[in-house]
Amino acid sequence: MPAGVIRVLQLITITLMWIFICGVLIFVPWLVYVAARWNDALNWSIVIAAVFLPVYIIVAATLTYVYFGLRRGLRK
Amino acid sequence: MSDTLMTPQDIDADLYRSVEQNGPGFYYVAAGFIAIIVFGLYRYYLQVKYGLGVTGMNQPVTWGFYIINFVFFIGISHAGTLISAILRLTQAEWRRPITRMAEVITAIVLVIGGLHPILDLGRPERMFNLLKWGRLQSPLLWDVVSITAYFAASTVYLYLPLIPDIARLRDRGTRPQWLYKLISWNYQGTPRQQEVLHKAMNVLMIVVIPVAVSVHTVISYIFAMTLEAGWHSTIFGPYFVAGAIFSGIAALMVVMIVFRRVYHLERYLKQIHFSNLSRLMLVMAIFWFYLTFSEYLTGFFGSEPAELDVMMFKLTGPYAVPFWLMIFFNFVLPVALLSRERTRTIPVILIVSIGICIGMWIERLIIVVPSLTIPYVDYPYHPYWPSLTEISLFAAALSAFCLGFMIFARFFPLISVWEIEEGRRNAVRETSERIASYLPDPPPSDDLSEFSSPGGV
Repeated sequence: MPAGVIRVLQLITITLMWIFICGVLIFVPWLVYVAARWNDALNWSIVIAAVFLPVYIIVAATLTYVYFGLRRGLRK
Repeated sequence: MSDTLMTPQDIDADLYRSVEQNGPGFYYVAAGFIAIIVFGLYRYYLQVKYGLGVTGMNQPVTWGFYIINFVFFIGISHAGTLISAILRLTQAEWRRPITRMAEVITAIVLVIGGLHPILDLGRPERMFNLLKWGRLQSPLLWDVVSITAYFAASTVYLYLPLIPDIARLRDRGTRPQWLYKLISWNYQGTPRQQEVLHKAMNVLMIVVIPVAVSVHTVISYIFAMTLEAGWHSTIFGPYFVAGAIFSGIAALMVVMIVFRRVYHLERYLKQIHFSNLSRLMLVMAIFWFYLTFSEYLTGFFGSEPAELDVMMFKLTGPYAVPFWLMIFFNFVLPVALLSRERTRTIPVILIVSIGICIGMWIERLIIVVPSLTIPYVDYPYHPYWPSLTEISLFAAALSAFCLGFMIFARFFPLISVWEIEEGRRNAVRETSERIASYLPDPPPSDDLSEFSSPGGV
């Protein structure tokens, strides 16, 4: 498989991962909105959202850092 | 050929055997597992077609095998990332041949366990209502969020240490080359690349430990947040986490012993590894028993009628046999056999580990079913027995686990090659330096004169 195709596929993978993360970033605040709309334990919803959202962001950021870090570290 | 004449790749050639040398046996065994999975899927099709009536669940026992297996499998997932992260963080040198297998267990088992609540739904398509109208204050939704977060963190934590080994497979010309080229992310092992990987692994190591603990705590909240007798307990969080680590170590031991035998990894997975892990398992057995004792003693001492009914139902009633079997497998057997060095042999460890897996599965049964069997409302006694559908789906889940592990071993080394090489290169020096740093510093040179004087020691 040509190197260019491999690079494109790798970038697609990273993009898909960020799309998933964006989905989570929309989904969890949506649930907080639902709690607010139904007047249903809003404070707890915010706390739980604040606990789990950073995990997804850290994981995705780490993977992206590794991908670009490995590219930058290639032998000349 | 002596070790000194071998190149590093030759020395560790055994580690590539599962990837590069697969006989027909692999396909026969895989076909067997696939057959079991297909039968399980057929039974699930019947369940979707005819509804939950094909299961053994009925009023008042509305949670059965599926939820037991859900808790059991998610518990086993703690074998991996948590144990691996703790061993890496504490720089336990004996971790090197263990971590990969532990991480793979987590990734596979989380998928299998995470699907079980969907199996428990009569109308699985209603899962989508969760996306639209989920209630974030419900422990069930905490589960969805935390398990997904743990799965994301665990798969990345499995993948990052795998990159150097994928690059090795790519450089060895192992097929399929396109796959290894694609997922090795151009890794060449340059100092800059190694630094990037180490930094990322360190970050994930720290992130993954609290996430892992939170996952099983949240699972315990499904039970503990209700006012059901036998469930409403403040120690359920640590109790579940301890049980998860306990069953996780046992499952890891079983996998290690089986794959050690199948792929002839005796040079890497040595008695010392099993001995160290079995000591950890022994400690967890005692800790688990302490938590079980505390849980039952406080319930018994309170003498709250509903609580007492459930407790007696377990201790002397219809669930007495599984209850005492659980105590035997989870406490008596490990303490009797793992306390002495003489009996801490690999066959004995295998028997004890299988026993603990069975015992911990029974523990989940003992938690889930009896409390539902005796509800607060006056309801006729209706014992729960799983149907063929539930049993076949349990068998399918176990087969999916075995098949997943086999497929992983077919494409990637089960023991981290680069970590073994790194260990050979640096571990002895680094460990010696570390041990030297633990020792007291020598006294300042002025004080030495006292020791050398005739009146000194």
